[in-house]
Amino acid sequence: MNDRRTFLKIALAGIVAFFVFIWNKLTLYHLKTTKQQRTTVPFTKNKEVFFADQYIIVTKNNATTVFSAHCTHLGCKIDKTEGDRLVCPCHGSEYDLQGNVIKGPAYKNLEVLPSQLSDDGQNIIIGA
Amino acid sequence: MSKKKNKTTFGTLSLAMFWLVVLSGVALAIPFDVKDPYLSISNMMVVNPWASFIRNYHYWSSQFFLIFSLIHLYEHYHYKGKIGLKKGLSFRLSLAVLIIFLAMITGFLLKGDADSQQARQILQTLTERLPLIGQSLAFSLLGAPESYQLIYVHHIATFTVFIAIAMVEHGRKFWPPALDFVASSAGLLIFSYFLSAPLHDNLNPAVKGPWYFVGFQEILHWLKHPEWSLFMFLAVLILVYLANSAKGKTMFLSKRSLLIFVGLYSVLTIVGLFFRGQNWKWTTPWSQEYKSEVLHNFRTPAVNFSPEFELNEALASPVIQGRKESCLACHTGTHGFTDSHRAEAVGCISCHSGNPFATAKEQSHRNMILIPGNLANAQQSCGTTQCHPQITERVPTGLMATLSGMISVNRFVFNEQDTPDERAHVTQLGNSAADEHLQNLCVRCHLGNPKTEPGPVNEFSRGGGCLTCHLNYSPEAEKELAENKGEIMRAHPEVSLKVTNNHCFGCHSRSGRISTNYEGWHETTLTKKEMPDSAHYRLIEGERVFVKKQEDVHHKLGLECIDCHHSYELMGDGNHYAHQENQQDVQCSDCHIDGEPRTIAAEDLDNESAIIAALRFGNIAGKKLLLTEKHKRALINTYVENDSVYFITKNSGKKMTMRAPAAVCSRNEAHSSLSCSSCHTSWAPTCIGCHNAYDANERGYNMIENREQKGTWVEYIGQYEAKPPTLGIRKSKDKTEVVPVIPGMIMTIDMKSYTGNENDPEIFHRLYAPTSPHTTSAKGRSCVSCHNNPVALGYGEGELNYVIANGKGTWEFSSQYAADPHDGLPADAWIDFLKTRTEKVATRSDLFPFDEQQQQRILTVGACLTCHDENSEVMQQSLNHFEELLKTRTQQCILPEWK
Repeated sequence: MNDRRTFLKIALAGIVAFFVFIWNKLTLYHLKTTKQQRTTVPFTKNKEVFFADQYIIVTKNNATTVFSAHCTHLGCKIDKTEGDRLVCPCHGSEYDLQGNVIKGPAYKNLEVLPSQLSDDGQNIIIGA
Repeated sequence: MSKKKNKTTFGTLSLAMFWLVVLSGVALAIPFDVKDPYLSISNMMVVNPWASFIRNYHYWSSQFFLIFSLIHLYEHYHYKGKIGLKKGLSFRLSLAVLIIFLAMITGFLLKGDADSQQARQILQTLTERLPLIGQSLAFSLLGAPESYQLIYVHHIATFTVFIAIAMVEHGRKFWPPALDFVASSAGLLIFSYFLSAPLHDNLNPAVKGPWYFVGFQEILHWLKHPEWSLFMFLAVLILVYLANSAKGKTMFLSKRSLLIFVGLYSVLTIVGLFFRGQNWKWTTPWSQEYKSEVLHNFRTPAVNFSPEFELNEALASPVIQGRKESCLACHTGTHGFTDSHRAEAVGCISCHSGNPFATAKEQSHRNMILIPGNLANAQQSCGTTQCHPQITERVPTGLMATLSGMISVNRFVFNEQDTPDERAHVTQLGNSAADEHLQNLCVRCHLGNPKTEPGPVNEFSRGGGCLTCHLNYSPEAEKELAENKGEIMRAHPEVSLKVTNNHCFGCHSRSGRISTNYEGWHETTLTKKEMPDSAHYRLIEGERVFVKKQEDVHHKLGLECIDCHHSYELMGDGNHYAHQENQQDVQCSDCHIDGEPRTIAAEDLDNESAIIAALRFGNIAGKKLLLTEKHKRALINTYVENDSVYFITKNSGKKMTMRAPAAVCSRNEAHSSLSCSSCHTSWAPTCIGCHNAYDANERGYNMIENREQKGTWVEYIGQYEAKPPTLGIRKSKDKTEVVPVIPGMIMTIDMKSYTGNENDPEIFHRLYAPTSPHTTSAKGRSCVSCHNNPVALGYGEGELNYVIANGKGTWEFSSQYAADPHDGLPADAWIDFLKTRTEKVATRSDLFPFDEQQQQRILTVGACLTCHDENSEVMQQSLNHFEELLKTRTQQCILPEWK
């Protein structure tokens, strides 16, 4: 009896583990296959700080850097500046225009995303 | 157990609420669009009150379900010594607590508004940081970033089913007692009618999670590693599990810990709800922004089943930035906007605030900003995140908002501070004699002075934030306003780049009077009755009489104020300057170029200049624009092409070619240290001999509080004149320059009249002020108008004669005005004849009159000019080689001798 119960328990755990495995795999595959590799955003050199939804494009001294707009604390989307600082609306973390943290709770700098200008200079291509 | 079966408990109420949540949820699924949740909900609120009602019902039933479930849990812990559930059930019930919160938060996310979007980001980031399965779990829970499909599925199926199973399993009931069901549904009807479920307007910068998570948001705010907060969840779930299934001390400790946790969490929730504003900054109910940042979250108008507009109008009104606003359902046909401010593009609430989802006038207009653009509300109107936040941030630091120079000089003159160059702000005036003087007589003209009545800008206008310069009424809008008897107005005034001289006129026709100077009008001391009936006279503000003088050459050519003055000068560049000439950027030489022009390519313009240029002139790609020397700002209405510099007037589009300065100006010999305006100013207004006293019985006005008061400083004006200005020396780090000056403050102040202290002395000052008169003439001053002119030199009006006797030349001066008893100098003088004056001489610490040596040098040339015509060959040569020429002079040429 005990053996049977133990067997069933193990089998049940196995089935659960199997489904978790399948679920994890299918989700990761789905993510991999649907993830957009590159995004093109219209680029304007005139704007020092440009908020393009998921991205913050900072153009200073003729150099353009693309940051992820997501605050490194909890991922809230940063959509505004106060003076020369990028300010997160959720918990008030602040970054300078180089993406460095000035004020917590965030402690990691904004993620710099690989980007390049299109040949005509009208667009910026974000992503590796 | 059997006795308890039909007894009302929070458990049975929760069950009732659960079924009501499910029922209302099914009904809500009909109007709800998972592809565009925010739009569909705003649509319900505006055009479908029944759907709005059922949404409220769904909201309130779920909130009460959560509350009752938690109280139910508490009751069990409180009244039962021991719960003693089996481990399996206990585990599933503990998990159900988490699932209930997940069902609630997914419901919150399905609003799709600004609050929801940020909450979604937080949930995603936290889940992703779970080890091993974080990525998969986050995606499985929330799905692709733009899609709500998975959230919806979990909300209506996964979590709901789980909760249902857990409930039935532990309560062994499907249905709540009939009475509980009826009472709950009836109670909810009342709640749902009177209090609408929240929906963020996506404009207010303050974002918050749902009320049950703001305490958690508060905790997250402190954590550098927010993922650690997940341990808190785990701990709570374990405690619930232990309280349910453990025995003895463990159970007791678990219960007690939960109680303490709930107590602390409640405090954090209150902090999060009521004391956190924009960017999670600490705020209090008495802060100015409390209403817009905190109370904003609690606006919950009642459902209005008979909206005050026709359904067709509401259906026809445009979708604005992803939401339906109810405003345009009543305010149909509103017109008059510039393209960027069209109601179809920015809606009404972007500027006017109010509640875009309410459908009755009173509710919609609650907390509305009738006159947006005043500095007190500019952050919430013109400066909202998607519009002009950078500008509204820097305008309050600019001179037109701070009045720094006026305040600082006034305090200096009242001997309240040692230099006139301190930085000051009009919002920080105190009760000193100088500050009271300012509040009674001077500080009405600042951008923060609010506009309180609708209507066009005219010569009586003072302040009004952004509207001061940008408000324009069409004749139609003006007529409609004048004739309005309470009906809805259709012709809206325009807020645009069309800043005309009239916008500047109200304030700038006073004090330095550059607006009137520019147009060629000089203020007299005549009264309205004394004004001659002639086109040479003009009445301003119904009482000030002006007489015609020479207009500025730029005015004659059709240039307006904004043709020279760019946005960073007028709206400030973010720096808090002490005086207007520090903020002021454009100089004559920026446009009238000698040599190679400083340019900037259109592609390299800063965003603000690029937008303004594009709005004014269309495509400017490829153009090279002039750049100012001082602050390196672009002059967007200029361009350089084929070695010519072109200038276009901003409002009228007139194109002109810039002239280079005359050869006489660009020589680097004599006169190289003269500013352009020291020669090219045709006249400047002057005022001498003013007296100030406080009259405790006179009716006065407080210009900061905008109210009448008893007791005021009174200014007894002296004499007004228009004449070519005196010249002085301005020394800065980089250069020493001769500049025009006027007798800014030759005045007395009766201090004892204010303080009541008989020992207080009468203050006397003889200060000249730098001026930029805006009376430019194309032709410069003649040589004698400076070298032989006592006013130009600073002696004041009088006879200045070169007397040659016995082969010796001496300059003599007799003043027109009597000596002032305070210092023995003539009433209008800056300096004593051929003497150096020091100490307090000017309203700037870097401004000085000519010293003795400088006067001698000027008058030496003046002596030559008494015989030689200024256009004579010898005088022209003297401009380049004066010292050498002197050596070759004949015996007839007698130079002055100095004592």
